[in-house]
Amino acid sequence: MQKTRREILLFMGGGAAGAMLTPAPWRLITDTAIWSENWPGIPRPAAGEVSERYTNCALCPAGCAVRARLVNGQPVSLAGAAGHPWSRGAMCAFGLTAHHLPYHPDRLKVGSASEAETAAAVADAMARRGAGEKAAVLDLAPGRAASAVYRRAMAAVKDGVYLTPERPLGGARVDLSKARTVLSLGVPLFAGWGTPGNLYTARANFRLIQAEPYESATAALSDEWLAIKPGSEAILAAALAGKIPNTDAAVATGLAEQRIVDVGLSLRANGPSVVLAPENSPEVFELNRALGAFGKTLVADDSAEHGAPDGATLASVPDGSIRVLFLDESVPGAHIPWKAIERKLVPSNPLVVAFAWSREGYGRHAHFVLPAAVYPEMLTDIPSALDSPAPMFRLAAPLVAAPAGMIDPVAFVAKTAGIDPGNPLREKADAIQKAGRGSVFTPAGGKSTPVRSLKPDDFWKALNNGATWMGEPAAGTSFAKPASTLAAGDASDFRLAVAFTGAHFATLASPLMAKLYQDSDLRLAPDTVALHPDTARAAGLADAARGKLETAYGACAVGLVLDAAVPKGLLRVAPGPETLDICGANTRAKVAAL
Amino acid sequence: MISANKPNKTARYGMSIDLDRCNGCGACMVACAVENNVPPVPEEATARKGITWIRVFRVDNGEEGEERRSVFVPVLCQQCGEDTPCVHVCPQQAVEVDPATGIVGQMPERCLGCRYCMAACPYHARYFNWWDPQWPAGMEKTLNPDVAPRMRGVVEKCNFCHGRWHAAKERAAAAGKSEILPGDYTPACVEACPTGAIRFGDLKDPASEAARAAADAHSFRLLEKIGTEPKIYYRSTREWVRQAAAAPKPQEKETAHG
Repeated sequence: MQKTRREILLFMGGGAAGAMLTPAPWRLITDTAIWSENWPGIPRPAAGEVSERYTNCALCPAGCAVRARLVNGQPVSLAGAAGHPWSRGAMCAFGLTAHHLPYHPDRLKVGSASEAETAAAVADAMARRGAGEKAAVLDLAPGRAASAVYRRAMAAVKDGVYLTPERPLGGARVDLSKARTVLSLGVPLFAGWGTPGNLYTARANFRLIQAEPYESATAALSDEWLAIKPGSEAILAAALAGKIPNTDAAVATGLAEQRIVDVGLSLRANGPSVVLAPENSPEVFELNRALGAFGKTLVADDSAEHGAPDGATLASVPDGSIRVLFLDESVPGAHIPWKAIERKLVPSNPLVVAFAWSREGYGRHAHFVLPAAVYPEMLTDIPSALDSPAPMFRLAAPLVAAPAGMIDPVAFVAKTAGIDPGNPLREKADAIQKAGRGSVFTPAGGKSTPVRSLKPDDFWKALNNGATWMGEPAAGTSFAKPASTLAAGDASDFRLAVAFTGAHFATLASPLMAKLYQDSDLRLAPDTVALHPDTARAAGLADAARGKLETAYGACAVGLVLDAAVPKGLLRVAPGPETLDICGANTRAKVAAL
Repeated sequence: MISANKPNKTARYGMSIDLDRCNGCGACMVACAVENNVPPVPEEATARKGITWIRVFRVDNGEEGEERRSVFVPVLCQQCGEDTPCVHVCPQQAVEVDPATGIVGQMPERCLGCRYCMAACPYHARYFNWWDPQWPAGMEKTLNPDVAPRMRGVVEKCNFCHGRWHAAKERAAAAGKSEILPGDYTPACVEACPTGAIRFGDLKDPASEAARAAADAHSFRLLEKIGTEPKIYYRSTREWVRQAAAAPKPQEKETAHG
């Protein structure tokens, strides 16, 4: 059949028009336009050799075992090390994003002065100290190998004092595996307390009673929630210990008298029991003693392998007595409000040197702030976990190199004191290996080995590859009763109780953590206060987005969130650089207009 | 939380999320963002403009005081089955259900940003890139090389960490196997969940943990009545939680409460 040119052209035209009705050309258009969607503004992830390394998280004493995925030696993701006998492959949201910390927008890369200038100023201040004026190190993460050096350094200095924060439960450790009933007096069990993997494993075997004014995440998952009045936790503990009448406690806590009786019976009948509180108070001590918790669910931390003994507490130092103060906040540790520290300094010409990785924190108040490496750049050990009855030794081995110019706080303090710091980590490892107790879990191999079967070098090598040493559970029976609850000054003018909504190290978070407060309402943003609308109205803040938070330590500006679920008389405070400066243990506060 | 069973030729991947175990820690949210190169949202953004492929909502029973009870509900793309609204409405064929895995995939290269899919999604599990992705200086070094950052103007959503599925396929191929063994493929949120609340696996494999959990008497799916056949199952022993998931109309609620 003969085809004319017209027919061929018609066929081609019809085919082209028909093709336009199929997806093919449209796909072709978008697929060929990909180049237009890859403009330079979009970062390209670096490709390269993929490898794995193990380390331990240094953000808190839980020290969860970490499996890091690296591309060309750069960590691109962190995950829990599966099969780990302690952390059991679990990590918190902070730990999962810790590889972002070296690139945090608030990263401190240059100090306020050079190391030499700072050292000269410190030497001058040390020499000019008057009679009784002290030099001090405030070690916010005691129990590390570095802590022993700090203690030694201050012992070598005239009027030197090594300070550590008061520890929850007086340094006793909690053995949740033995507990059948846990009474938590506002402890954020599921929001930063203890080791997530250990906690969730033990959770199946104990009944949780959460006494807290508002329904926190822990209260939401508890077996019984006691919605007590703000600030009445110690009264409830005293009543349960039989120290005050239940009738009085019922009035103070807002609970029915029978309810308090039932809780007391439950704690005694379904033992072993343990009572947990965020601060060390005599009421909680008495209740734990009455329940027989000491030696069962609470073990004394008397093992030399738990680290250097604690130093003096800040409260034991007279006000206005410290002339030179070193603050090491390179490793996240406990928090003490700056104003409480400040009152211990001499009135004129004190010198505070802070070692910090971030521009936030104590460095803002220090006379000299020196930049320090941050996890996962640094090599440090991690104190034993609060919920571990056995001593532990883990290293946070660096995953990336620290930038140039970072200062080693231990070396600086040792040099100031004129002592040789030695290699405290290696010395501690060798001492543990020599003692020969306990076993070492190596995450890469997934097995435990008795430490006595390892040579010192092999043990050290294993530790640097993320291994965890676990000793034998402590068997001490000496528990120190706290003298009194910490007071935050005259609270008569401050009628609202303060409840922190998370761990204080929340301020040391990856920018991605904004997913939890900015992209969703899962958490409060840093330096934000949630309060009942009536509380806000009474303070003249009914429509205000921001307000002033005042405590005995001072005042700061905060964001306000009105939440009818927060009881009247309570302020839920999200830790942030500003609120941490003025809020501490048992803080009471008021809010006002800016 | 994956069972290690024999491989299947075609799979129907799904999840079971135990709401009685979820504590709202947000580990799944940040692990997802790290894995899938989801950037921090700019400070000027509102709460509705951020991108969180998995978002944990706090839902309460509406009571006051001590009667109040809350539950944390992680919501991600529900990976609808036969009747997938977003697939139907996409004019660009940028959304497809992979017949080999059952995963609803989103192809940003084809997306023209009309956001019909966002309007059609009954679970609000799709997110639009209002800005070019940006990370603080230096943090781009920590991006996952297996996942390309998306550009401004396209929609994105959970794809069960497709990069991990590809990596598992490659590992299987390198080992001379044609199929992935179940334990070889785990989305980031499942791996990160410290409470073990999220279980993942092939729902066609009755031995998988996800399938067994999905068959539990207390399991349910969100908005089951609209017939989208999601592959995300939730579980709670609390009756009010299961009722809330059905999202009854206000008059139905009143009737239910008498």
